[in-house]
Amino acid sequence: MSFARWVSIYGSTYWTGLAWTAFIALWASFGAVVWGCVLLLIRLSAGRWGARGVDAYVQLFRNTPVLLPIYLIYFAFPMIGLPWPAVVCGGLALILQNGAYISEVLRGSVNAIDRVQFDAARSLGLAPWGTFRKVVLPQVLVYSLPALGNQVVLLLKDTSLLSAISITELTMQAKLLTEQTGAAYEAFIVVALLYLVLVSSTEVLFRVAHHAVRWR
Amino acid sequence: MGKVDVRHVWAAVLLATLVVMSPAAGAEEKSRLDVVLERGKLIVVTLTTVPPFAFNDEKGQLVGFDIDIARLLAQALFKDPTKVEFVSVTAEGRWPAIESGRADMGVGGTTTYPDRAIRVAFTRPFIDSGISILVSKKSGIKTVADLNQDKFTVASLNNPQMADRAKRFFPKAKALTFDTPAAQFLAVRSGRATALQIDTPSAEYWAAQNKDELEVLPGLLGASQNNGVFMKPGDFKWWLWLDTAVAELRTGSWYPQYAEIYQKWFGKNPPPQKFYLSQ
Repeated sequence: MSFARWVSIYGSTYWTGLAWTAFIALWASFGAVVWGCVLLLIRLSAGRWGARGVDAYVQLFRNTPVLLPIYLIYFAFPMIGLPWPAVVCGGLALILQNGAYISEVLRGSVNAIDRVQFDAARSLGLAPWGTFRKVVLPQVLVYSLPALGNQVVLLLKDTSLLSAISITELTMQAKLLTEQTGAAYEAFIVVALLYLVLVSSTEVLFRVAHHAVRWR
Repeated sequence: MGKVDVRHVWAAVLLATLVVMSPAAGAEEKSRLDVVLERGKLIVVTLTTVPPFAFNDEKGQLVGFDIDIARLLAQALFKDPTKVEFVSVTAEGRWPAIESGRADMGVGGTTTYPDRAIRVAFTRPFIDSGISILVSKKSGIKTVADLNQDKFTVASLNNPQMADRAKRFFPKAKALTFDTPAAQFLAVRSGRATALQIDTPSAEYWAAQNKDELEVLPGLLGASQNNGVFMKPGDFKWWLWLDTAVAELRTGSWYPQYAEIYQKWFGKNPPPQKFYLSQ
């Protein structure tokens, strides 16, 4: 069977997989950025022990493969009475892991802010929370945009691991089609192209955003 | 070295893709049997998460009934059961491993189905199989009919036969799909699923390991089935050798060796060598 014919027959079965991948990547990216900001806030404001706690957390997630939290949350949480759906468990694992990376990215950008601004904020009477929200965060997010885009791309690709916990995203769809039709090359080439499209559009999106905010 | 032109890279990628996809690629005259004998080693694709067929023991060694079958084949080929290299894959990885020629043959709880036999060739069966239901005892489920309620969840593997059986025997139950039997098992143990469907020997193995929690429902889901050795279709000489070897194991000159590994993994005698010979 030619590749074109195979795609014409089975191509439409990819839509649900594409939708799941996009959906999970979207909400998990959003969650990971928020979680990264929270970790940054703790690091900056909760004193020495807060910073050490965040450090330990980052080390833990940076030094373990993301498949572990995926398995742990999905299979272990029901044992402690929390049978959350697979999408929530998988998304949560991605948020916990990528949030750790993102907090490190943001920390790098905090160091790029001129110390004078902190003194200025204090002299204007801004509380630490106000300083973080009005001075630090807006600048940090802008500085970090390219690196954040990178992290979102990584997260997007990691969603393929969620096929291990019965989510029918793109990779699972390809596995199902391989089992059904035996056409492994066709099934996975189509998936590769779809990931390429998803990742390229994410990159374009971040580049546009970066250009839009750079000249403020 | 000059600068690499991006267009050249793309052209090379395109060319490589075409070569991989073209039917002419890998059209070899030589039989796999000769290749295997020359190499002095058998390359076998297998699953690693289907006890007691093929799984890792406490020491991390790949063991099981199907693994021993592959070793007996190596014994027949090279007079040495250790001349086997195992390639571990997930369920859907079995077919491309064979199709691409990465492995000479495959074993690992693999059931023969007519629609599967279109894309891979099977030998005659080396063991009977069937599909059973493994349930958690807490669920109170006693028959397959009990399972057909929307409050129950059944874990299946990602092949179409599993999906068909789920639709036929318990259409009302919720379905979860995993890529390894180990994940199915984990799903039942963790309470993600109420039950799972799997080859009967695997279900019995897990039930025996977890007597307090799990049990196998009486009866098979559908018919008795055949598990065989599979390989790339079209190579008559190779297929004939494998099929003959399996026949000798199951009903012929190597029946004693077969009976030995059968006893080892299932704790009982295999079906009689020939139906008209009394045991």
